[in-house]
Amino acid sequence: MRDIVMANQKDTGKQKFKISRRDFMGAATAVAAYTIVPSHVLGGPRRVPPSEKLNIAGVGIGGRGAGDLHEVGSENIVALCDVDDRYAAKVFKSYPNAKKYHDFRVMLDKEKNIDGIVVATPDHAHAVVAMMAIKMGKHVYCEKPLAHSIYEVRKLTEAAREAGVATQLGNQGQASEGTRLVDEFIRDGALGPVREVHSWCNRPISPRGIDRPKDTPPVPDTLNWDLWLGPAPYRPYHPCYLPFSWRGWWDFGTGVLGDIGCHQFVSIFRALKLGYPTSVEACSSGVNSETAPLASIVRYDFPAREGMPPVKLTWYDGGLMPARPQELKEGLRFGNADDNLFIGDKGKMLGHRLLPESRSKEYGRPPRVLPRSPGHHKEWINACKGGEPAGSNFDLAGPLTEVVLLGNVALRMGRQLYEKGLKLYYDGPNMKVTNLPEANKYIRSEYRDGWTL
Amino acid sequence: MGAAAAVAAFTVVPRHVLGGPRQIPPSEKVNIAGVGVGGQGGGDINNVSSQNIVALCDVDWNRAGGTFRRHPNARKYKDFRVMLDKEDKNIDAVVVATPDHVHAVASITAIKRGKHVYCEKPLTHSVYEARMVAEAAREHKVATQMGNQGQASEGTRLICENIWGGAIGHVREVHVWTDRPLRGLSDVYWPQGVGRPEDTPPVPDKLDWDLWLGPAPERPYHPAYVPFRWRGWWDFGTGALGDIGCHSIDPIWRALKLKAPLSVHAACTLVNNETYPVASRVTYQFGARGDMPPVKLHWYDGGMRPPRPDELDDGQTFGDNGTLFVGDKGKMLGYRIIPESRRKEFGNAPKVLERSPGHHQEWIDACKGGKPAGSNFDHAGPLAEAVLLGNVALRPSIKEKLTRVNLLWDSANMKITNVPEANQYLHRQYREGYSL
Repeated sequence: MRDIVMANQKDTGKQKFKISRRDFMGAATAVAAYTIVPSHVLGGPRRVPPSEKLNIAGVGIGGRGAGDLHEVGSENIVALCDVDDRYAAKVFKSYPNAKKYHDFRVMLDKEKNIDGIVVATPDHAHAVVAMMAIKMGKHVYCEKPLAHSIYEVRKLTEAAREAGVATQLGNQGQASEGTRLVDEFIRDGALGPVREVHSWCNRPISPRGIDRPKDTPPVPDTLNWDLWLGPAPYRPYHPCYLPFSWRGWWDFGTGVLGDIGCHQFVSIFRALKLGYPTSVEACSSGVNSETAPLASIVRYDFPAREGMPPVKLTWYDGGLMPARPQELKEGLRFGNADDNLFIGDKGKMLGHRLLPESRSKEYGRPPRVLPRSPGHHKEWINACKGGEPAGSNFDLAGPLTEVVLLGNVALRMGRQLYEKGLKLYYDGPNMKVTNLPEANKYIRSEYRDGWTL
Repeated sequence: MGAAAAVAAFTVVPRHVLGGPRQIPPSEKVNIAGVGVGGQGGGDINNVSSQNIVALCDVDWNRAGGTFRRHPNARKYKDFRVMLDKEDKNIDAVVVATPDHVHAVASITAIKRGKHVYCEKPLTHSVYEARMVAEAAREHKVATQMGNQGQASEGTRLICENIWGGAIGHVREVHVWTDRPLRGLSDVYWPQGVGRPEDTPPVPDKLDWDLWLGPAPERPYHPAYVPFRWRGWWDFGTGALGDIGCHSIDPIWRALKLKAPLSVHAACTLVNNETYPVASRVTYQFGARGDMPPVKLHWYDGGMRPPRPDELDDGQTFGDNGTLFVGDKGKMLGYRIIPESRRKEFGNAPKVLERSPGHHQEWIDACKGGKPAGSNFDHAGPLAEAVLLGNVALRPSIKEKLTRVNLLWDSANMKITNVPEANQYLHRQYREGYSL
């Protein structure tokens, strides 16, 4: 059985455990306690005064990670990790002083001076990377969606809270003016009580609605396929998975909803103070056990909150979108790329624009009551240096991501939900579908031997 | 050419002058010919086999074999034009069940010869064709029926009677959906969202590919088209909306007394110029009719559907095909009033509509001088036009325009008024040898 290396570094020293998985399973609780508690007792991560620079490491740097590193380029980029030398080559080159790694576990083990890490691997690796870092007292910036399964998200959220690290999810739109305007319009009563929201995105890039390839081309020299797979179930390498195109594959990605939902739902969640939904239903253009559908509609029912009535949130992807609202004058754009439509008792809002135009002009801007952001990545850097928590810290981003991923649970139930048109009733705090227990297998992904949270 | 006109004149005019089709007393049998008899046509012929089946026409004698064998006395043809010419005196009526792209030319050729026509749904392949076929049928006073057999059902009558009886109040919103072209979520009836095949396998024995193409643009044979899977291709079929829309929109049309829509809008998956999209939503806006308020009709296919209504009890099925009427006082799933409390409170609507002797029988009765069939072309034409107008909105180049507008429809003038380039999709040029 494969060995597991778990490590815990602090300024004062290091403990290293090398145990077999069988032993580990039994001892897991004790070990977990041991690896987390010391940091916590010592007061968590290293204190970095605002005048100093953070030491940041990147994990998964070839794609979106490169952009994230650029955004935190005011700090020291001390180490970089990627499993794909060719995809990451340009980024490795632009940080000549950063140490280079293939395995994030080795990097975190060897590089003692890391304060925070930026995780931008494929979705299926987010949780294991982020969790190891959190347990070592590292601050974490993690790309959206926070993790691949609801269970992982919950565990990460709890661990980050316990470890007292600064966190931020990569849904940068949360820091925007638009997100604040949505919130301020709704606070100001511009729409009256909101009972319906529609959110859509037509991101056609990643292949979906297809089956697993049967051919097994050789793994490129420049790729460590085993590490790329990480905790996901083993399968042979194929270029249809990477780079980027993993998004459509259930074992690695989370479909368009997972890719974009955390972006688009954040303004809705904030303005409407959403928590867990009571139920979810889904339909799609066909779903299999391999890939997300080409097009889908996911519908959530949220209960009443703090003086707000129950609200229905509908997600569309693959080119689907709601019908054009009558209030929108002919000639004005109602695009299928992406947008949110809020429907209240007193009016409608497209993005943060009140409909119709005449009402938008008459209303003007709502009172400015919310603080503006210094920038999404900057929020995290400030938080790492003892500032206030970032806008999408995991206490907020965790529940948001769980709701997004719950949509995939409904989609993956496919036929079972579709034929009778049933809803999944959901107990959020306990992470449980209550009426169709077979759905609960999608709440948590199985890990390969040798991988654990 | 000169002779052709003379021949045409000779074969059509006399009947017209004589007042249309032959009078058939109820005691006599109708002499029926079939055009396209291998697939659904086989079933249609079976359903009218109480009458004389005198001639059968199919371009694929292999696929038509079963129907041919069941009617050994019927004379066999490949080209409907030849059949109608040669059998003119022997045929009273024609059943058209070819692929969609041939419906109009076959029907109108028959109608102009004074033949009664039963035509499979959708009535035609284009909006213009539907208008022309309906006008010709009216002019030649032939008995017509479209193949949307659900129109004859008890369910269709209950939907009308419930709504007219006030079961759910005024209806301002209707949702109608099918899983097609999917079959469930993990299989397909036929593919959509695919490109044109590049290989050119040989044409099978017994298939006349040129006649199969009929009025459609020339292209090489491929099994991707025939049999049945032509439904997904713009040049031949009319997609899921064309296949099912005339069935499932029919009861809505009747119950809400719909006339041509004022506008149409659509959203769908990536679509190309070869096949219909994998999934779509098409929305029609209808104006007020009498005391009925304006209504929006939302069509969904490819697995999409409206939200499960809160009025349904837990466990009640909200199926992969269905119709949901949203009224001021309640909702109806098909003819079932929801919630259950409203259904009980309302009880049964007064039975004001006559029941049908059967969909095909209606047509046979009409052929023999009885009253018009339930889906005669005066009814089916406008219904098919609306369905086919939805497909115009799904055309790749038109869909792009829909980010800013709905397509505004001037039905009287058969024109989309605000996106002129969309009008090219109301009709198309035929190949030589075919005309309306």
